[in-house]
Amino acid sequence: MTDQNGRTDVAQTWRSWLTETERQWNSFFNGVMGTDSFGRLMGSYLEGYSLLQRSLNQSMERYLNTFNLPTHSDIVELGERLRAVEERLTSLESGLNDLAAAAGVDRSAASITPLHPRRTRRPRNQTSENS
Amino acid sequence: MARIRTPDMNQFVQAAQTQVRRNLTRAQRGLDILLARQEPPVGATPRDVIYSRGTLRLYHYRPMTDEVYRVPVVCVMSLISKPWILDLTPGQSLIEYLLRQGFDVFMVDWGVPRPEDKNLKLEDYVLDLLPRCFEQVQKASGEPDYTVFGYCMGGQFALMHRGIFHDAPVKNIVCAATPVDMERMGLFYRWSDRRFFDVDHLVDTMGNIPPDLMLRAFELLRPSERWFSYVKLLDNLWDPMYVYGYRVMYKWTNEQIPFPGEAYRQFIRELMWENKLMTGQLTLGGRRVDTKAITCPVLNVMAEHDHIAPYAATAPLTSIVGTEDKEDIVLKGGHVSLVAGKNAVGRLWPKMADWLSVRSV
Repeated sequence: MTDQNGRTDVAQTWRSWLTETERQWNSFFNGVMGTDSFGRLMGSYLEGYSLLQRSLNQSMERYLNTFNLPTHSDIVELGERLRAVEERLTSLESGLNDLAAAAGVDRSAASITPLHPRRTRRPRNQTSENS
Repeated sequence: MARIRTPDMNQFVQAAQTQVRRNLTRAQRGLDILLARQEPPVGATPRDVIYSRGTLRLYHYRPMTDEVYRVPVVCVMSLISKPWILDLTPGQSLIEYLLRQGFDVFMVDWGVPRPEDKNLKLEDYVLDLLPRCFEQVQKASGEPDYTVFGYCMGGQFALMHRGIFHDAPVKNIVCAATPVDMERMGLFYRWSDRRFFDVDHLVDTMGNIPPDLMLRAFELLRPSERWFSYVKLLDNLWDPMYVYGYRVMYKWTNEQIPFPGEAYRQFIRELMWENKLMTGQLTLGGRRVDTKAITCPVLNVMAEHDHIAPYAATAPLTSIVGTEDKEDIVLKGGHVSLVAGKNAVGRLWPKMADWLSVRSV
């Protein structure tokens, strides 16, 4: 790499080398990771990871039950029930909005000022053709 | 006789001064990063939540022009990452750009799945949540039709939705970095090989797929990238623009979210193993996704060096849709730089705005 005066730019040469080295390492690793044996290794790792997670979950659940504390499943169950309540509320709200709209009442939230720009914009080339 | 050139003292002093200045700046910015000081603002474009359900939020961005195109644009995000990649940071935000170009923009943000969301399936997203969001967009804009812009998996959702609801008033579909031929997904396809990968065991045990697992899988695609990025950062620590861009992208990359378990199981089984979206055999809730029935204009934007959704996996998109008005755009860059960052500003955004503007009146 040379600059405008024909001198070698060491910093630029180093940067190019860095980029090229990164590309070569990635390409090398991709070659290794694209093999069946790596796929098998990854599958085994994920299976081990899941097994470890499962056994951790089970023992944690046992401890929490012993101390009469809510477990992960309890919290998830609670979340599911909340979700069902939320769904019911949404459907009620939506029904109310429909009724209000039918009666001609504006129910938009006071905190939001709806912006209503004109929806008449034309592409630049069409505008210049028209003018 | 050769003359010995004496070094120019002025040049030497100037170079030394520059290096000292840069090293001081490096030290200061390095501390900023280490102590997480002066975090760059992300997802800062003003918006209102017009619909929410569970973790889902539908945003309506506040228009920035007095006159907008008639057809609103609805951005649909992937389930894999945070949506603010489309609204990165002021001056480098696709959403902000579209607003300034006169589009009325909405965004479907799926949110961060909670443990109880492990049962959400593709059917929930495509047959239930997405149509509800589109209804809200119609109500808010007062327009019967809308453009759907899907990024990555969001593009797959757009195709699935229109492939099932043939009479949905979708005016245009824009897909960016959207893989359809999953057999060409490179390493992801190899790693999810059914001979080695027990997806049922993973989902049954974990519920949602943990964000850390997702992040590591993405990092494995370019294993040396993280370490080399640190070296490059050290080299460029004196440059405020470089550091700013690095911090924003680092934040986004590391804010990985869990993948809903059942949707992941379907994604692997139906899309990865059976390649059903590509072959037209995908059914959701007993309804076939017929992409040949997509007759609205389709724009397929791909990145030449996309390592997540490789070009080979995204290129066939226009061949599986039925419309005559379809276009492929291949741009330099990768999966993320296609839609975000300073490179996207000059590459994708103007092309996309031009394509949309003539189809949004």
